[in-house]
Amino acid sequence: MSKPKVGVFGLAGCGGCQLEILNLEDELIDFICAVDIVHFTEAITEHSDTYDIALIEGSVSTKHDLERLEHIASVAKIIIAIGACSSTGGLNCLKNLYGTEKAKELVYGDKKDWIDAIDTKPIDAYVKVDYHARGCPPTRAEIVDIVKSLIMGKVPEIPDYPVCIECKRLGNICVYETGGTCMGPVARAGCNARCPSANSGCEACRGPVDDPNINAQKDLLDRYGLTVEDIMEGFNLYNACKKIEQKNK
Amino acid sequence: MLYKILDKKDFKDFVNNLISAYEVTAPKKISQALHDFFPIKSYEEMDLSYKRTTLPPAKKMLFPSNEALASYTVGNNIEVKSLNESKEQLLFGVGAWDINGMNFLDRIFSTDFIDENYMEKRKKLKVIGIDAEPSDANFASSVGSEFAKEGFDLFLSDIGDKYFVRIGTAAGAEIASKFGDFLDASDVDYSAYDRQMDLYKNKFNVNVNLDNFFENFEIVYGKKDLWEKLAKSCFSCGSCNLVCPTCFCFNVRDDIKIDLAGGIKSRQWDSCMISNYGLVAGGHNFRPDEANRLKQRYRCKLKTFVEKFGQYSCVGCGRCVEACLAKINIYEDINAVKEEVSI
Repeated sequence: MSKPKVGVFGLAGCGGCQLEILNLEDELIDFICAVDIVHFTEAITEHSDTYDIALIEGSVSTKHDLERLEHIASVAKIIIAIGACSSTGGLNCLKNLYGTEKAKELVYGDKKDWIDAIDTKPIDAYVKVDYHARGCPPTRAEIVDIVKSLIMGKVPEIPDYPVCIECKRLGNICVYETGGTCMGPVARAGCNARCPSANSGCEACRGPVDDPNINAQKDLLDRYGLTVEDIMEGFNLYNACKKIEQKNK
Repeated sequence: MLYKILDKKDFKDFVNNLISAYEVTAPKKISQALHDFFPIKSYEEMDLSYKRTTLPPAKKMLFPSNEALASYTVGNNIEVKSLNESKEQLLFGVGAWDINGMNFLDRIFSTDFIDENYMEKRKKLKVIGIDAEPSDANFASSVGSEFAKEGFDLFLSDIGDKYFVRIGTAAGAEIASKFGDFLDASDVDYSAYDRQMDLYKNKFNVNVNLDNFFENFEIVYGKKDLWEKLAKSCFSCGSCNLVCPTCFCFNVRDDIKIDLAGGIKSRQWDSCMISNYGLVAGGHNFRPDEANRLKQRYRCKLKTFVEKFGQYSCVGCGRCVEACLAKINIYEDINAVKEEVSI
């Protein structure tokens, strides 16, 4: 079996997700031996237009992003969204809350027409995404796990349970016990409860679980004295593009 | 059972002697309201006045939340090596309900199939129990687990200026003779102990009547509206399961090395309250909603093992009540079932 050709690309984002691959440290050598990396925006000079798997970081925030994404999608057989921006739209989506035109004006003033910005969207708003390695940043282990699973021809195990599970496995003190608030009960796990383990509330950077109990989360936050605005901030930080909504409850 | 007395002035020396001989895991204060069990290096680190710990100590030690079970290599030679880490340990200051929870796990992991990973650790664990302070949500006396009949080597009850000590095993007798100045109990001590036990039973704030629950549960089992109402605010977050001293479900995962030359199989605590617990091949989920899952949890706690083992698998520690951010409460729901039947 020949090694799969892998391209790593970045759209609108901070580049941190690509860095996480470079940060693999102990596993980096094995990782680049297991696949044939032919394109890696942040790491190599070479370019290639032939690849089987595309790992895409960042959201679609400009027309140029969209053109690049469509091109990548026309080449790659499998697309993996890496990170919050590419999976949920991430922080970039906060722009949409202002209105893109207004945001352009605020930042670029009378030069706003130089910018081809459009409403920010996650990449799966435009192309079919096979797997998501969510999070800001995504966990290195999960990126490796997805690629590894593809090589072996099995379906990667991506958690669809709330962060609370990971907190309890770790024996963490619940953030709500310390007077803080946390999106953990509706947020998708997989980060090993990174923020609550540092006694900081989860901000749902991996997006919600598939069937979140949003009404219960609103009640919970309300019970802890949060206003509607505070609550929406909690929901919107990483998830303004894909509105988290109550399903079938 | 043998009974002894340990004077409180000799208590500190006893604990320090244990620490010099064993890895002693005991309650430590970790926040205003919470304690947790950790290995301690000196008597001063321990705080026996604890009320709440998020996780049950015995489960944490014997059935770790994440445990490697086997490593393997593939290729020309397939080799499988079982992984089983265990060591001599001593658990100090654990309450009766948690000992009863551990006794239940002992039974689970040694019935039908011997779980070596659990049992090896259990065999090497010494247990010294104490009449711990029940938390506000503790209803152990309602399910008969406020008293431990077995599962400990020593059990201490505070009778004023001394501890009344029940010796549960030969190993316990050895610990007593080797590490402390244990004296024979006098008639006065026996009556002090009886008085203390009566007082102790009254320390449990929550009392719930489980009479007829077994039959009532069947009557309301099909009442969809009731279960939907009770589970309405459930996050399916699994906290209730993971903090439960008797929940034993786990998921096994495979972590294959990226060079595909081998890997590790490990198990993690699982939860019947999360949405994909009942998901099977083909995409069918036989417990697709919160109401079904909550009903199943109560069935497992209050009925299944009454049939199988003749006991509740709920020890009434109240941890699930304390951990639930949605305020789902097992003893209130027991009453809700009763109420539904009486309508």
